[in-house]
Amino acid sequence: MSGRSYARRKRPYGKVIGFGMLTAALYAAVYLNAPVVMTYFTKGGVYAVLPIATVFLFSYVHGTFAGSLWSLLGIDAKRTRLQERMEKRPAATRKISRPRPRLHA
Amino acid sequence: MQEVVNFIDLNLIMVGYLFIVGFTGGLVSGFIGSGGAFVLTPGMMSLGVPGTVAVASNMCHKFPKALVGAIKRYKYGQVDIKLGLVMAASASLGVQIGIKIQQIILEKWGQAGSNLYVSLSFVLILVTVGGYVFYDARKSARRTDTAGEMVSNLARRLQRIQLPPMIHFKTADVRISLWLTLPVGFATGMLAATIAVGGFIGVPGMIYVLGASSLIASATELVIAFVMGLGGSINWALHGMVDIRLTLIILAGSLLGVQLGAIGTTYVKEHMIKIVMGTIMLIVAFSRGFAIPQYLAQLKLIEVEENTIRILSAVSFGIMCLALAVGAVIILAAMWKGRFAAEEGAELPDKGSSLEVVSQES
Repeated sequence: MSGRSYARRKRPYGKVIGFGMLTAALYAAVYLNAPVVMTYFTKGGVYAVLPIATVFLFSYVHGTFAGSLWSLLGIDAKRTRLQERMEKRPAATRKISRPRPRLHA
Repeated sequence: MQEVVNFIDLNLIMVGYLFIVGFTGGLVSGFIGSGGAFVLTPGMMSLGVPGTVAVASNMCHKFPKALVGAIKRYKYGQVDIKLGLVMAASASLGVQIGIKIQQIILEKWGQAGSNLYVSLSFVLILVTVGGYVFYDARKSARRTDTAGEMVSNLARRLQRIQLPPMIHFKTADVRISLWLTLPVGFATGMLAATIAVGGFIGVPGMIYVLGASSLIASATELVIAFVMGLGGSINWALHGMVDIRLTLIILAGSLLGVQLGAIGTTYVKEHMIKIVMGTIMLIVAFSRGFAIPQYLAQLKLIEVEENTIRILSAVSFGIMCLALAVGAVIILAAMWKGRFAAEEGAELPDKGSSLEVVSQES
């Protein structure tokens, strides 16, 4: 795969800006309210859901931002045969093309 | 009753340090499937974070990082989810046994005995396994002109054993008895409970014992890290030990790093994964060697001056940081070289790459 194809690829400006702002907002929300956050997040018990859910949320938002940022900077993965092979694989579930049962009154 | 834990105040230097180590650890993890934790936990402790909080906060950043890395590498066709889940199941058992052994040692010989056990495990396992990985990587590098990555003789022999239930791991293109995957997963969990980096056994185990390629093994390790990290984090969070501020700073760097490391795997020759892993393991083993006199002195087996111990500890930690940095530099250099070759439009002399492995498999 040549470098020219990278240049042709659409750069995800919108995604970087959108998810970047969302990431910044989430980080600001945590660090500007650090005393409250720490009080509840370290209570243990059922409050354990707070840190776990937070890292999942951050990994989605910041992860999408980070991936788009590398793409924007022109750092994309090279297409390999492993990837092509996976994409060609048939889907695990097949749609069954059977006529729906109908009521015959 | 919940233990009273002091959570530290953050400053700009701490934030910068955790972000950089997070990024570097993420880069290495995205590339070889594990790494970073061995620097982060002692690093946080050196900043004044209590040990349990450092372990908990580190683990809580590890599983989302592994998740993002695994998703990224799954898109590149490198993850065998079934293999990852089978390994994670036996690894979970290994973690429990590893913790029990640690508890017995702690009760019998105290904290110094436990630390000595961890350091000796570091040195023995990492020198043996890391040395072999490095040796094999050099051998693979010399072989790249003629053939791709070879399945080890041990794995070939084990795959011939027809002991039901036999499992076919489609992406890894491995058919092997379930019973033979158990010791590898178990050892991964044991090591994770002992030195916090199970991947140093898991990845070589999947390569040399089960017969997966380096690319598939390192990517699948991220699935194991996710499953084990999630379980461990829930446990720590239930006890209120996770300092989310620290976790999120490390995560900020590591989510950038892990994706770059994952992208890097598509540009390099496959033996580079072994080179990076072997190099890091050997340097880390060397660094832990400097920590051993301190624990021997605490157990009153030798006499060492206080000042000497302080210097040895600092040297040990410094070399450990160096291990991570060297790994990151090798990854970035290999990636840069591969990318440059791709942009030039030239065919890589890449007989050991994933491309060649696939063509051999098909």
